[in-house]
Amino acid sequence: MINPEHDAQVVTRIVQQDFPLWMSVTFYLAAFVSTAIFFYGCYIQVRKYNRGQPFSLTHIKKGIVDMIKDLLSHRTLRRRDRSAGLMHALIFFSFVLLFIGTVTITLDYDILRPITGRMIFWYGEFYLWFSFVLDIAGLAFAIGLLYMMYRRKWMALPKLNYARSDRTQEEPDYDRSWYRFEDWLFLWNLVIIMITGYVLEADRLIWLQDDPTVWDYRWWSPVGTLFAEAMKSMYLTSEGAESFRYFLWWFHALTAFLFVSLLPFTKAKHIFTALVSLVVRNRRSPARLPITDATAESIGVRSITDFNWKQLLHTDACTKCGRCHEACPANASGFPLSPRDMILSLRELSNNTLQKIKIPEAPLLKVVGDGVNQIRPETLWSCRTCGACQEICPVGIEHVPMMVDIRRALIEEGEMDPAVQTALQNLQKKGNSIGENKRKRAAWTKKLDFDIKDARKKPVDLLWFVGDYASLDPRYQKVCQSFARILKTSGVDFGILFESEMSAGNDVRRVGEEGLFEYLAENNIKTLADCDFSRIVTTDPHSFNTLKNEYSELGGNYDVLHATQLVRQMLTDSQIPLARKLSKRVTYHDSCHLGRLNKEYDAPREVLGSIGVEIVEMPRNRDNAFCCGAGGGRIWTPDPIDIEKPSELRMKEAASIEGIDAFVVNCPKCMNMFEDAVKSTGSDDKLEVIEIIELVENCLADD
Amino acid sequence: MNKIMVIAEHRLGELTAATFEVIAAAVELKQTKGFSVNVAVLASNPAEFSAKLNIAGVDEIIEVLIQENQFQTDTYEAVINSLLDEYAPSVVLTSNSIDAWSCMPIIAAKRQCGFATDVFALNYDGDDLIATRAAYGEKMHVDLEFPDKETVLITLRGNTYKPIEQEASVPVSSFSAPSVNARTTHKRFIEPETTSDVDIAQAELLLSIGRGIENEDNIEQFEELADTMGFTLGCSRPIADNGWLPKSRQVGQSGKIVVACNTYLAFGISGSVQHMAGMKHVPNIIAVNTDAEASIFIIAKYGVVADMFEIADELINHFE
Amino acid sequence: MKILVPVKQVGIIDEDYEIRDDGKNVDVDFLDYEINEWDNYSWELALNLQETYGEAVEIVPLTVGPDEAEDVLLNCLAKGGERGIRVWDDALVDSDSMAIAQVIAKVAEHENADYVLTGTLSSDHSFAATGMCVAGLLNWAHAAVVSKVDITPDAQQITVNRELEAGIEEEITVESPAVLSIQLGINEPRYASLRGIKQAKAKPVEVMSHKDFGLTDAEVGEMGSLSKVRKMYAPEHSQAELIEGTVAEQAKRIAEIVKELKGDT
Repeated sequence: MINPEHDAQVVTRIVQQDFPLWMSVTFYLAAFVSTAIFFYGCYIQVRKYNRGQPFSLTHIKKGIVDMIKDLLSHRTLRRRDRSAGLMHALIFFSFVLLFIGTVTITLDYDILRPITGRMIFWYGEFYLWFSFVLDIAGLAFAIGLLYMMYRRKWMALPKLNYARSDRTQEEPDYDRSWYRFEDWLFLWNLVIIMITGYVLEADRLIWLQDDPTVWDYRWWSPVGTLFAEAMKSMYLTSEGAESFRYFLWWFHALTAFLFVSLLPFTKAKHIFTALVSLVVRNRRSPARLPITDATAESIGVRSITDFNWKQLLHTDACTKCGRCHEACPANASGFPLSPRDMILSLRELSNNTLQKIKIPEAPLLKVVGDGVNQIRPETLWSCRTCGACQEICPVGIEHVPMMVDIRRALIEEGEMDPAVQTALQNLQKKGNSIGENKRKRAAWTKKLDFDIKDARKKPVDLLWFVGDYASLDPRYQKVCQSFARILKTSGVDFGILFESEMSAGNDVRRVGEEGLFEYLAENNIKTLADCDFSRIVTTDPHSFNTLKNEYSELGGNYDVLHATQLVRQMLTDSQIPLARKLSKRVTYHDSCHLGRLNKEYDAPREVLGSIGVEIVEMPRNRDNAFCCGAGGGRIWTPDPIDIEKPSELRMKEAASIEGIDAFVVNCPKCMNMFEDAVKSTGSDDKLEVIEIIELVENCLADD
Repeated sequence: MNKIMVIAEHRLGELTAATFEVIAAAVELKQTKGFSVNVAVLASNPAEFSAKLNIAGVDEIIEVLIQENQFQTDTYEAVINSLLDEYAPSVVLTSNSIDAWSCMPIIAAKRQCGFATDVFALNYDGDDLIATRAAYGEKMHVDLEFPDKETVLITLRGNTYKPIEQEASVPVSSFSAPSVNARTTHKRFIEPETTSDVDIAQAELLLSIGRGIENEDNIEQFEELADTMGFTLGCSRPIADNGWLPKSRQVGQSGKIVVACNTYLAFGISGSVQHMAGMKHVPNIIAVNTDAEASIFIIAKYGVVADMFEIADELINHFE
Repeated sequence: MKILVPVKQVGIIDEDYEIRDDGKNVDVDFLDYEINEWDNYSWELALNLQETYGEAVEIVPLTVGPDEAEDVLLNCLAKGGERGIRVWDDALVDSDSMAIAQVIAKVAEHENADYVLTGTLSSDHSFAATGMCVAGLLNWAHAAVVSKVDITPDAQQITVNRELEAGIEEEITVESPAVLSIQLGINEPRYASLRGIKQAKAKPVEVMSHKDFGLTDAEVGEMGSLSKVRKMYAPEHSQAELIEGTVAEQAKRIAEIVKELKGDT
């Protein structure tokens, strides 16, 4: 490898070769200044996060392990955008290698050499391998960057368009041209560092072409050598190279210092913030919203400083990749909401206020309002808390709890859509959002030819928590009747709570009415405490989620099953007397609360499979399923008539599948939405909207 | 002889239609108990109004000259007080108008008279006057009595008594108004914007929508339905309050009384007292509402417990 | 400027109910309670004034009712205001508008209130008289069914719109102090969050009896009322003929009836 004639010690790169002293001194001064700016920037950022509310981390070890796994696998970046993920991986891993390389040189040259008087390892074979690896890493880095440039400039991806759906063109923060500038600055800065690096390397080779300890080993830097050969072919001589050298060297160094000093202030900071964001993320938060102190003077987020440091850091982790923007059902329907834009508004608000030496006056910190970088109430009320944004975010931002935190403050101040107000008042008065009398809750049972046990009076094995919409929506009442007949026919010992059941409070909590949620939950927990049962079942994924995940914080711990999970188990145990199988081709719609929030994608599919139903998946399924638009309290607010509702977009997605005859749902709210959408999109001659439970009932023997 | 006193009411130069109904009620009472009917009219030009009060059964028209023609609560209070001192009637009747709501409780409170508003039936049980009115959103009726009250003030619900058409020559007397310290001052009347809009009061066929509509965007469907069916579109108060339909389309006490209506289709209207005051006289009321307990079903001839939108979707097919 | 806002807890009867043994009212066990709809608007008006003028305005909600009626005060105090007043005594049972007005008028005097804002009427008995009876007892200027208000603190007179019949409104000036009865739609009442209602429990509610104001039992309750209930009963109305069946059948029947009535069958 090393020619025996050459002293291995000289096979190296002499750092700052032939530099006059003043130049070396200037270099270290510049390095010191840029590093100082970098650390000052870091201090500003950390101080900014610290100005948020405290937040204590739990599961930090698991967080770190998960982050490292996500980072090494690039799992979160590859999802739904493979090529961008791959290219980011090229950039990331080569950047890591290049960084290690720089650190290695610094270690040997700037630390060990002054102590020992000579280079300890950065020469000879080590040096050659070092050159080779870094040279290739540089190439990978450049390819990645060039792809990103290509993607931005020529692919014209809608998700990379920063024009905002919640602003009009006349408004100052409509298109945010600074962000485009920042993107290009970031890319060009790195590309220039890379290219000047190669040119500088080539220039050195040409300059020292007569030195065999340099020239003979040139192919250990293959890309640099290619550059050198090209430059030589353009008649660049050793002297010529020498004359360019200082300029090139300084240009390369200064662009690198620029990068270092800008890092904490630009998009580049995601190198740090994304990692921390991934460590502190809570994947379960849309299913189990963070609890609040109900006795506090006020709850929710009014001022940017009401967010906790973790949330402020989340806003800095965003790289504007647009995956959430693309996944959001409200955004797809033209509502003034993009999860990305909300996060970016909060980032700008926090940068403009909390990076200052003194925190500005309270009015400037207000999160909700009509001003620049404030979030408008209509944006907040557009959200369906379906969790699609949070699910796909590659850097672990938790949009949903932030959204709900701001809503909590709006609710405290009484600012909401009149329809939401009516629903909440109904819930306060009657325990259901529709405003029906409590006694009507079990009216659907009257159409059955048998009585359902009163779980308040007699012990039951299975306690069926029916839920609001399931109890009171006329279409879904039929599903309840089907489910009752399945349970009865299968000999299950079950009962319901009749008029003592109240809304589980899932939507109430997501709207931000924390006090009412606690009231409903405490009442239900009290009712359940007086009943004797072993498990809870519900057909309603909203009730399922809240009973399972959120009641425990208020002292209600239950074994909760969704109806499809129970039915799957019963089918496996041959407990349901099936008289026939169906020969249907259907598509299945994952409800957000069963699917994305509770990761139960298989039970419904397996149930359908075991009754002979063939499923043709929609393009967006499982974790990417597209919300019906009813979550987060939006079931109470009618969507405007001149837009294409999320449910209509979804129905069209289903209707484009050839040869299916049903759109299968598993949720009362989805049912409600899609029964309308199937008509309004004119798909009703092709598809029927049907509940899994109804299909299962169709397989029972006729009486 | 015991007297029944009627306070005639007028606005913008016209006696109110309800005044004639109140006179009819007074005359009916007179027939059972043999009281006299004395009608007082307070105005700056009382003769102009008294000419129109020559109604069979009225025994006396009392003209009271006051400075301003429009209602002023302190003036009405003072004049009626003096009339009560002078005439000592057993019953004082007015319509259940906003003006009566303003001054009659004051007189009742100060003199501790018997008092009831929005009464729709007056009967005597022996010598005891029984006034019938509703409670709990028309779900209950209440018979009120006024033991030991020498004078009873009653405001009468509209569209309950049929005006008497027969004329008669009624003796006119005048009564001088006491001096008044008026603490409110009339500035102006604000009339609803005169639009080229149809007058729902004159429509025979009305299709009215209420709170059940939920959302402004749903109005269109019912406009189309009304058009197709040949009905005029009306609404209840919340719809007009929200600005979803012009105020001129509002049926009810503060909107229009649909006097000419024969068939009234009520979609998503639960039937507040105020709304029903404007339409309960209609002979054919068909009500569609999801709530089987809605008050509207009490006065409707036909009731349909169903989703108004689903019914509308189907109904339009029968008229296209 | 002090504004007293009397608010009422009204009863709502549901499909099943029973009449009280004496036949004069619905048995309380069959009533659901809530704040009178109109009173949300009068309280909102007071809140708006308080928010506009700050400490120059004190607003106090008052209810005349038993322990359970305190809920309506909490509902008000959750939205704003620092204290409430509740007056009750068993002698107040069966009070009509007049008897309740006796109490309200005494509280207004006791509190040195400048304005009393009531709802136009209450949805249970709908007398539409309480506010004006208060005005009569206090001998204050007054306006009923007010749909717009312009009040400034310390003003000698205020301007209000009275909502009359058939969409007409009348603009008048009213001397202070005054009693106004407030109509629906004058503003948009805010929502009282349940947490707010819980926290409102920390605000003081002064509980008093009519006797504390020198009123005798004869001046309140049935004795102090201007009318006496002889009996309450369900009206014998011809119940609507219910059109049953599927939606399509129901619509078809409506169409038949309409066509017959229009005479173009």
